[in-house]
Amino acid sequence: MSLEMTMSQPLSRESRGFPDYELPRLVRLTDNLHGAAFFLMKLLPARHMLDRAAADGRLKPGGTICETTSGTFGLALAMLAAVRGYRLILVSDPAIDEHLHKRLLELGVTLEIVEKPYEVGGFQTARLDRLRAALEANPGSFCPSQYGNADNPRAYAEVAEQIAERLGHVDCLVGTVGSGGSMSGIARFLRHLNPDLHVIGVDTPHSVVFGQPDGKRLLRGLGNSLVPPNVDHRQFDEVHWVGAAEAFLATRRLHQHHALYQGGTSGAAYLVADWWARTHPDRKVVTLFPDEGHRYVATIYNDDWLTTLPGWTGVLPEAPQPVAHPSDVRPNWSSFRWDRRTLDEVLAAGTPVARDLAEAA
Amino acid sequence: MPGDVISRFASVRLGTRGNQRKEQGFGQVNGHHGEILQGVFPDDVGRLYRGLVTLPCNIVSSTAVFRPAPGNLVTVPDDKLKAAEAARLTLDSLGLHDQGGHLTVESTIPVGLGMGSSTADVVAAIRAVADAHGAALAADEVARLAVRAETASDSIMHGDLAVLFAQREGNVLEHLGPALPPLEVLSVNTAPGTGVDTVKQPPADYDDWEVQAFRPLRGMLRRAIRTGDAALLGRVATASARISQRHLPKPAFEEINAIAASTGALGIQVAHSGTVVGLLFDPRNPATARRVAEATSRLDTIGLPPALHFRTDAVEVRHVA
Repeated sequence: MSLEMTMSQPLSRESRGFPDYELPRLVRLTDNLHGAAFFLMKLLPARHMLDRAAADGRLKPGGTICETTSGTFGLALAMLAAVRGYRLILVSDPAIDEHLHKRLLELGVTLEIVEKPYEVGGFQTARLDRLRAALEANPGSFCPSQYGNADNPRAYAEVAEQIAERLGHVDCLVGTVGSGGSMSGIARFLRHLNPDLHVIGVDTPHSVVFGQPDGKRLLRGLGNSLVPPNVDHRQFDEVHWVGAAEAFLATRRLHQHHALYQGGTSGAAYLVADWWARTHPDRKVVTLFPDEGHRYVATIYNDDWLTTLPGWTGVLPEAPQPVAHPSDVRPNWSSFRWDRRTLDEVLAAGTPVARDLAEAA
Repeated sequence: MPGDVISRFASVRLGTRGNQRKEQGFGQVNGHHGEILQGVFPDDVGRLYRGLVTLPCNIVSSTAVFRPAPGNLVTVPDDKLKAAEAARLTLDSLGLHDQGGHLTVESTIPVGLGMGSSTADVVAAIRAVADAHGAALAADEVARLAVRAETASDSIMHGDLAVLFAQREGNVLEHLGPALPPLEVLSVNTAPGTGVDTVKQPPADYDDWEVQAFRPLRGMLRRAIRTGDAALLGRVATASARISQRHLPKPAFEEINAIAASTGALGIQVAHSGTVVGLLFDPRNPATARRVAEATSRLDTIGLPPALHFRTDAVEVRHVA
């Protein structure tokens, strides 16, 4: 759609939504570390994607939205669909949280649970097949496709605006990567104002987003079994992989020390951002906390559950273990100098850069 | 007709102040040096407008003198068509449809460089006509008359006030503060002898990413003005110049940017519909004099000697090449 057409479109804000819920609250954790704590981060990209689709006719008034998700993106779509009068079909798998499941049903979502994983491609491919079927069964329906829709990263200009206005110049941005929307989006916007911005992506072992071999992951809400096109790998200077036990312990630490009651991905981001801020005391760091902790009362905030986790030590590592290549999978917190390369460049490269890093450490 | 209501109201208002009509009225306005920021911006309810934040340049200006007389409106020089149109619109808005007069416009603002020569003539003319009739027009009224006369106007009628100005509507989208943080500007004309016809030039067709990218620029600009942080202002200006480079490229842009970066400038800014580029320095920094000298000599070596050197918070001219 041309700029002149965009400018003459009906107002997006006339559509109902949750503008005051979209942006994070900024909290200063230490002298040089700021947290951006979201209620539900996915509300912002979900609203922006729906606005844009409604503006150019991909989504009709009262139309149907189909998407595959088992996480907070589905909840954000469900909230918007409920107040804007869209029908929403979500494809998910049995891993979906029981309470989230109930909440989605209460918001009027048609939930299709894929019961069995494919032998090749697992649940991810099975869900994509079911999604395709839903789109075919509902002609004219709209699929937001958060992994590939460029309106996802572009939505985060509003967070970059808030950070630029409230914090001014920022030296380092740290956040978890799942769809690629928030980190790729904010990093590119902020780097337009500061080409030297240091960007750290936080992933989890056995996620393929930054080149590790696929595998079972206990930590949800970051990482992926596919590489979303919305991950702009060239934005990242460093990548860290954080395991579930240490992420959850860091989540508790974030609450104990800073009174922020957030979810597990926030803990992973906090662990890495706090380390970088401590080791670079004269640099200003901002990190993203994607959701609140209420969904994790029975898990992360429950000691009985926590202490039975595989790899549970009850002790937070002081620093990451530098690795020479993304294929060097460690169960615990590890780091890698990405150097703003593409995924192919990193995977094809030898390991001299990593060796330098290991020597420097 | 709403226009008639306004005219009648204006006539009544003038009628009560008829004795304030003068033999001649005077209008003046300063030029500018392009923009700190120009792009598209949402208003309070999310509708997008083209908007800009001007970098004032108070060492150049346009002045106009208007002598009311019955009959035709005569303008000198007679090629100041937009100033003449603005004078006519101003008379009409005052309800003086049958009145003419003699308008003289003079300007020290170079034409075609993106320094506001056209809007300055228009605003000076509007002010001169209003002054001749004892009418004090608010900046918003001047702005609305100016955009009617020339389609898109610069925000110079707001003086040093820092405003995000919708140049095609003549509205202020956001009042940012009493003034920008002071800057010392080294001005380069990147295309001497050519110039840009700002009227014929199509408005920039920003892509979807750029439309969103203006948001953080606006956010940082708010902070720069609120906290008087010239360094943040330099970052915003450079980022806006980079986007502008995709739409109206300046020759030697990267070379100028490299000189700015290596001589400790805060950044660069451009005339988004012109040819001038400014290297921005912090006037409060004692190293600035040395840095400006260094930048000047490096610009000389690439064949772009600075044409102007001025401070935004003073009328003093430091150097004119």
